[in-house]
Order: sequence, then structure tokens, then C-alpha cells
Amino acid sequence: MKWLLLFKVAWVALQVNLMRSILTMLGIIIGVAAVIIMLALGAGAQYEVDQQIKSLGGNVFIVFARGRATSGARGAAGSVQTLTEMDAEAIEQQIPQVTVAAPTMWASAQVIYGNLNWAPSIQGVDNRIFSAQNWQLNQGREFSAAELSSSGRVAIIGATVQRELFGASDPIGQSIRVDRVPVTVIGVLDAKGQNTQGNDQDDLIFMPLDTVRKRISGRTLASPRAVRSIIVQVADERDMALVEQELESLLRQRLRTTGTDDPFRIRNLSEMVETRARTMQIFNGLLAAVASVSLLVGGIGIMNIMLVSVTERTREIGLRMAVGAEPADIMKQFLIEAMLMCSLGGMLGLSIALLVTKGLEKFAGFTAIIQPEVVLLSIGFSALIGIFFGYYPARKASRLQPIDALRHE
Amino acid sequence: MTQAVIESIAITKSYQMGSQNVQALAGVDVRIQAGEFIAVMGPSGSGKSTFMNMLGCLDSPSSGEIRIQGENVTHLAAAQLARIRNRYIGFVFQQFNLLPRTSALDNVMLPLLYRPDHSDAESFAIACLQQVGLAERMDHHPSQLSGGQQQRVAIARALVNQPAVLLADEPTGALDTETGLEIMQLFQQLHSEGKTIVLVTHEPEIAAFASRQLIFRDGRLQSDKAVQAASATEHLQQYRQQKMQEGLA
Ligand SMILES: Nc1ncnc2c1ncn2[C@@H]1O[C@H](COP(=O)(O)OP(=O)(O)OP(=O)(O)O)[C@@H](O)[C@H]1O
Ligand SMILES: [Mg+2]
Repeated sequence: MKWLLLFKVAWVALQVNLMRSILTMLGIIIGVAAVIIMLALGAGAQYEVDQQIKSLGGNVFIVFARGRATSGARGAAGSVQTLTEMDAEAIEQQIPQVTVAAPTMWASAQVIYGNLNWAPSIQGVDNRIFSAQNWQLNQGREFSAAELSSSGRVAIIGATVQRELFGASDPIGQSIRVDRVPVTVIGVLDAKGQNTQGNDQDDLIFMPLDTVRKRISGRTLASPRAVRSIIVQVADERDMALVEQELESLLRQRLRTTGTDDPFRIRNLSEMVETRARTMQIFNGLLAAVASVSLLVGGIGIMNIMLVSVTERTREIGLRMAVGAEPADIMKQFLIEAMLMCSLGGMLGLSIALLVTKGLEKFAGFTAIIQPEVVLLSIGFSALIGIFFGYYPARKASRLQPIDALRHE
Repeated sequence: MTQAVIESIAITKSYQMGSQNVQALAGVDVRIQAGEFIAVMGPSGSGKSTFMNMLGCLDSPSSGEIRIQGENVTHLAAAQLARIRNRYIGFVFQQFNLLPRTSALDNVMLPLLYRPDHSDAESFAIACLQQVGLAERMDHHPSQLSGGQQQRVAIARALVNQPAVLLADEPTGALDTETGLEIMQLFQQLHSEGKTIVLVTHEPEIAAFASRQLIFRDGRLQSDKAVQAASATEHLQQYRQQKMQEGLA
């Protein structure tokens, strides 16, 4: 029997009991929708992680100084347990796998321009920060050597700060006041957008390290060259573990601390990002459970309704056999019907998944990516469910004796 | 002797109903030649339908043989029997057995669906509908057709695969007298065009239009005789005249 006609026959049969067919498909619809949403969110989360790692650098450590609180109790030893710019230089020079180690300070302060004010994060840096964190300048220039060495009153502002304080007007050369200190804007950074935690990465101002240390932070520091963190970039991601060990031992040696003491903390950025991906996986596991139960129940529903259909249409089967349908033809007819029902369910599930993922993206801030192969796979898979659960009813139909089927009441 | 289109050789059929053994057929030998128009008669339960089902390969005998154009088909597998029904047999049922929600044309094309090698199913089916005088109704569904029209569609469906024999089990049983006569007129016309027809009926008036009568009793062939066929067209005219007079009177 010709395939096209088989599909037509199956389509007519489905339409006859439209409501029943749709209710039967429900399990498949929900199952397929759950599978697609799950995969879309998974792909979205992975994409976000990749993006984040790309923007932060998956090859980046941040070494945080823990400040004086822990060392104060042991003051007798006289060790200065904070990080300094010299540590950054040592890291850069003594660990060959490290490409750049950028020392940073930070503070928070009110920034005022005209009658507008804003409170971005203030970071004291030198020009190494650009390569360490993949920052690009949108306008203006980096810090000059003189500005860096003489705590120059200059600032490079993030895209958010530019938008909030300057709007459309040109900020270069304008004077802003950072914690009452007048500072000239010399550059604007390219926007990076939000990170996976939803924080705005562009809400910051870069100023020379010394400027922040001396003019802004207002704190007394353990050393005139103290820094609060060092951003360490490694040439090759595969060396991360090795570099972490070397950082640890190098800094312990330089700070003259014992094994139990803990004056600094080394964090790996991609680890932080992946914590969130793991949360995502739990959610995905839940969806996977819903999906598989739903597909199983859906499949059984299909089998049930196909058995009903075979019984209802016994006379039709008898007639088809009387005019020459072979058992294989009857089998094909019912298999295609089950398959069609499931693929339609799959397509409806796909449409629902599209709506739900759009909604999640819009209202819950998820990233969802529906890959084309997932679409094909889920529809193909639902068709397979149709064949699997439709097989028994179809075989039952094909094994009817023509005369018994024709006489069926 | 020319070869029979279908013959039954000593066929029996028994059903086990609980402890009881029902002998529906008890040894029936019939040879059906090409171009015959045979009426099968007999009291209810005498085995007429059982016999027809054997001839049409819908059911298999308990013993004996069915031969179609000389070939023994008694022990063929289900798929092969389906092919034989598809190519050699055209069934007409008392209850029409058309597929609901399916156009007359699609109903007529049904047997050709199961013949992948058939190239021109649609024009064939239309020709058959023309033959039964229903070409203009080919898009109608069974529920939009009268009983007589439905039976014509069923006959067209039986003709579409150009079968060696038409088997009709009480084709007029569900129709009123006039419509029944019209259907018999159609069968006679088909017979005159060379079709081989076997038709079961309870009514002697209907059997009179055939040229050979088989009478069954208790699963056996009681008599088998050639008769002079009456003309269905004449009967139909007489019947209509009579009805008109009664209506006028
Ligand atoms: N499937 C079956 N199971 C049991 N007994 C059967 C079955 N089919 C037919 N019979 C019996 O076989 C006998 C012949 O039945 P069959 O249907 O051939 O009669 P028939 O001559 O066609 O009768 P009618 O004129 O009423 O249609 C009957 O006694 C019937 O009860
Ligand atoms: Mg009968």
C-alpha cells in the first residue's frame, strides 16, 4: 500500500476522534516539551558559562589578600601579611606559565558630575588590567607612566558610568569628582554586560593604583604598595592546576607564612561560574524525570487508545482484509497511526517548549537555546515511541481472521 | 471440460460450540464456470454464507479443497490469501460495509490501495462508478447516499479489481423491493457483460434472475439446476406500473 495513502488514512482516523487523540497525545506533548525545555536550558547555561569564561578568561585566578585581621594577633613575628605590587611582579616573573599578573585595589565612593551622582565600584589598577580581564577601550587611552607613578587624577570609566553620568555627551576630558577628589576622564571601556550572577560588569571606574590608595580609600594600609587582589592570567588553561600550586608556594614563601596560616585566598573564576551551571543541572535532572515519566505514561496511553481503536474498527479491518489487505498492510496502517499521533504530540510539545523557553528568557532571565538537532531528535523520538507502543495493538489488528473481523458487532 | 473459475471439492466446515459440534458444511462439491450467474438458496442456517466465505477465501474449510482457476488455495498463508482475494474475488455484502467518512470514490478505490503495481486507480474507480450509474456521486460519503446507492458503490468496489468472480451474500437483503430489483437489474447487466456472479438470496423472485440455482439444506447441496433466467428489467417495469396503478387507485 502506498505510503502517502497510509498517512492519509491515518490522518482521517485521527480526525474522527480529534479530542480523544489530543488527550491521548497529552503525555507525549508534556514529555517532549519537558525534554526540549531541559535541553534548551542546559544548552543555554552552557553557553552562558562559555561566554562568561571567555569574558573573564577561564584561565584567570584572583588572589585576594585577607588583610590584617588574621595577622594582627600574631604581630610579634613582624611579618607583613598583605599582598603588594611586588608580589604581582614576582608572580609574573617567577611563574613562567603566567602571562600577566595585574594588581588591583578597590573602594566604593560617590562619583559626582554636575548635579548627577552615582556609586560605581572604584578600582585601582595599572594597564595590566586590560589584558588580564580582556577589557577593551571604547574611547580614549590607557594610563600614562607618569599618571601611574604620580597618583594622577585620571579615570577610565565603564559603559554604565558613562551612560548614567554623561548620557550622550562626550565624557573624555570632563572632570568628575570621586569622593570629592576631582578627576579627569581619559577613557571609556567597551561594555561587557551582565555576568551570570546578573551583576553589571560595566558599573566601574579604573584609576591608577596609587590614586585609589592615597586619595580615595582612606584606609591605613600595611604597606604603601599594598594591593587587595592580584588578577593572574595563565597562558594555557591546561596549566591551571600547576599554576595554582606554584602561586600558593610562591606567595607562602614571599609572605613567610606557615602551612596553617592563611593570609591570601586563590579563586578560580571559571569555578565560580560553574557553580551556577551545577544548580542548573539539578533543575535539569528534575525536568528529565518529569519528561521520562511523562513519555512512558504517554506511550502507555497511546497503546491503550490504539487497542480501543483496533476493537472499534474491527469491521473496517475485516473489510480491508476482504478486499486484499495483507496482515502487513494492516500492521503498517496502525503503526503509522500511532506514529503520526506521537509525532503530532511531539510537534505540539515542541511548540509549547518554544513558548515556555521564550517566557523563561523574557521573565526569568534564563538563556535557552533550542538546537535544530534537538528538534529533529525529539520528533523522531516521539515517532519511535509511537512505533514501540503501537506495535502490540497493530500486531493484534493484523492477526485478526478476516471472517471473524467482518462479523464483529 | 473447460476449467472452472472456482470449485469446491468435498468441503466441510464444523464449529465447536462448547461440547456441541456444529456441522455448517458437510461435503459440498460445486464447479463454477466463467460467465455463470448462480443463485444460492436454502433455509436459514443451511450453510450458504459459510460456503460463500469458503469460495471467497475469507475462511478456510475443515476439510476438502477450494481451487481458484485450478490452483488449490486451501492451505495458503494469510498474506497469499489476501492477494488471491484482491485479484480474483469481488465481495458484495448485505450490509454494504462501506467505510464511513470516506467518499464513494475512495471506497471504490480501496481494493486498489492494496495493489502497489496498479497505475491508474482513480480513473479505474471512476469507470466502475459509471458502470453502476453513480459517477456523479463520487464525492458523497456513504451517509449521504441511499441504501440502494450504497450497495451500488459496494458493487463498484467489487468490480474495480476486475475479479474472476463476484460473490454477493444477500445483496438485496437490506433493501426494499424496488431497489432490490434495480440492484438485480445491475447484476444482470454485469452478467451480460461477461461477469461471473454467485449470489445468495432467500427470495425465489430474486433467485429467478440467475441462470443456475444451488439449494442448500443442512450443510449439503440439495439441488443444483440450470434455469431460464427471468428479466429483471421487465420485472422492474411491471412492478413500477403496478405501484403506479395502486397509487392512482
Ligand atoms: N462462527 C461460527 N461459530 C459457530 N457456528 C457457526 C459460525 N458460523 C456459522 N455457524 C453455524 O453454521 C451454520 C451455517 O451458518 P451460515 O451462516 O452459513 O447459514 P446461512 O445459510 O448463511 O443462514 P442465513 O440464511 O440465516 O444467513 C449455522 O448453524 C450457524 O449457526
Ligand atoms: Mg447467511
